[in-house]
Amino acid sequence: MFHLIKLELKKGSFTGYIWGSLIAYLTIAGLMMIVYFVEGNNIEEPVFQGYTDMLHMIDLLVRATFIVYASVMISKLIINEFKDKTISLLFAYPVSRKKIIFAKLSIVFFWTFANVLLANLVVGALLISINAGVGYFTEPLTIHTLVQHAIYVLMQAIGAAGMSLLPLAIGMRNKSVPSTIVSSIVIVVLVCSNNLGFSISSIIAIPLSLAVIGILITYMSFRNIDRMDVG
Amino acid sequence: MTEIIRTNLLTKNYGAAEVVSGVNMKVRRGEIYGFLGPNGAGKSTIMKMLLGLVQPTGGEIELFGDKLLPASTEHLKRIGHLIETPIFYEKLSAKQNLELHGEYMGYYNKQAVEEALELVQLIGVHSKPVKQFSLGMKQRLGIARAISTRPDLLLLDEPINGLDPEGIQLMRNLFRRLRDEWGVTLLISSHLLSEIEQVADTIGVINGGRLIREVSMDTVHASTNEYIEIVTSNVTNAAYVLTDKLGIQNFKYLGDRIIRVYDTDISQEKLSKGLVLNDVPIEAINRRHHTLEEYFLGIIRGGE
Repeated sequence: MFHLIKLELKKGSFTGYIWGSLIAYLTIAGLMMIVYFVEGNNIEEPVFQGYTDMLHMIDLLVRATFIVYASVMISKLIINEFKDKTISLLFAYPVSRKKIIFAKLSIVFFWTFANVLLANLVVGALLISINAGVGYFTEPLTIHTLVQHAIYVLMQAIGAAGMSLLPLAIGMRNKSVPSTIVSSIVIVVLVCSNNLGFSISSIIAIPLSLAVIGILITYMSFRNIDRMDVG
Repeated sequence: MTEIIRTNLLTKNYGAAEVVSGVNMKVRRGEIYGFLGPNGAGKSTIMKMLLGLVQPTGGEIELFGDKLLPASTEHLKRIGHLIETPIFYEKLSAKQNLELHGEYMGYYNKQAVEEALELVQLIGVHSKPVKQFSLGMKQRLGIARAISTRPDLLLLDEPINGLDPEGIQLMRNLFRRLRDEWGVTLLISSHLLSEIEQVADTIGVINGGRLIREVSMDTVHASTNEYIEIVTSNVTNAAYVLTDKLGIQNFKYLGDRIIRVYDTDISQEKLSKGLVLNDVPIEAINRRHHTLEEYFLGIIRGGE
């Protein structure tokens, strides 16, 4: 299995994915800094009530970004193989088709999971240190807040990774890259949109159950892959 | 086990359309089997079924003596293939594509990659992405990929498509060499008889999804008979001379200018002399073989 993952990364230039993620980190960090400096000292209507608020907003941006990012990866790793018919090469190899698909999906799942964690960590640490210097809000940062947020982010990362598979089932229907990416955007808009500080994804059960649905639907769409006609 | 491929009533339906129906084919070890039939006859579909890319609706396939099941993959290690248009990871170079192929096939031999590229004479293009290749180059690379893992069985679907005459010649020789030196069994499809007849040991004629006949080239050569063809502006007079003056009964009109004489005991000189002396105008006179083309057209038409 590890070998298959390695081969997938060889095909699709792994460095490209890393650059993509780095750019995403920078964009999120930049956006957060703009929000922080432009709106941060608005005393009447503060954009953040405190650290928890700020960290949640980071998490929301991170997840929205990487769910869409995952749909791009799904397009490259799976949809395009079907569209370019290279799947008929892959499926004529002495390797189980399920393993090939599983290798591809695990790349998407773990990449999304790891990036949600890492981006939260990096951008969160950056903003916390900026606030330590600038000090728009002076509420003390407690270990309790951090631990609680860490658990929250972990759950959300699992949720995002599972949810990121949802667009696959939609994109696979007509082997279309646009419909894969558009459906991921729709998911993000529904789940991650922020209404007066509330987004439905902040109820942790919702992203987690969507993740389960994502995994289930994906399983269903590839259950009969061994008997599927290709090419 | 002398048969590498054996199918038993192999059938494939797409909806109501029967693309392949009741095919019983046998490909023996170490032979070049030419799969001959017009476009859309079902050649590619059969090859895809052999590779497991398409699941048969009915019937069975036996490869290397084992029955093929939907999840079988082990036999694929021994098969090289090129089906329809050659497909590659276009951003990768020729060499990278071949190395990747080796990794998936579980065949690790860097030298084999070089050797395969050399055999198809694709040299000096190692770092160029395949995207920039011409169709002919892709076709060569596809064949190189198929042979790069030293397979026991090669499935090549229209392998000379897009090749220049020089390339066609090269491939013909390569196919023979693979058979003779490596002991590879080849299944080669084509809609062009002239391509197949020069390399094949056995020809399977397929039309409308049915395998009409499987015949060895030796048999084909034996049954393509000889005749003398006369082109004349006066066939009536010619026929009269043939029967009454020369005593030939076995001939046939082809249109109003051509007569074919199947009685080959009489020499061409004697025949032309006899005709000219009796004032039959002769435009042309030739000794000919009943062409393979006609032989196979006969089979295809007879099978319909």
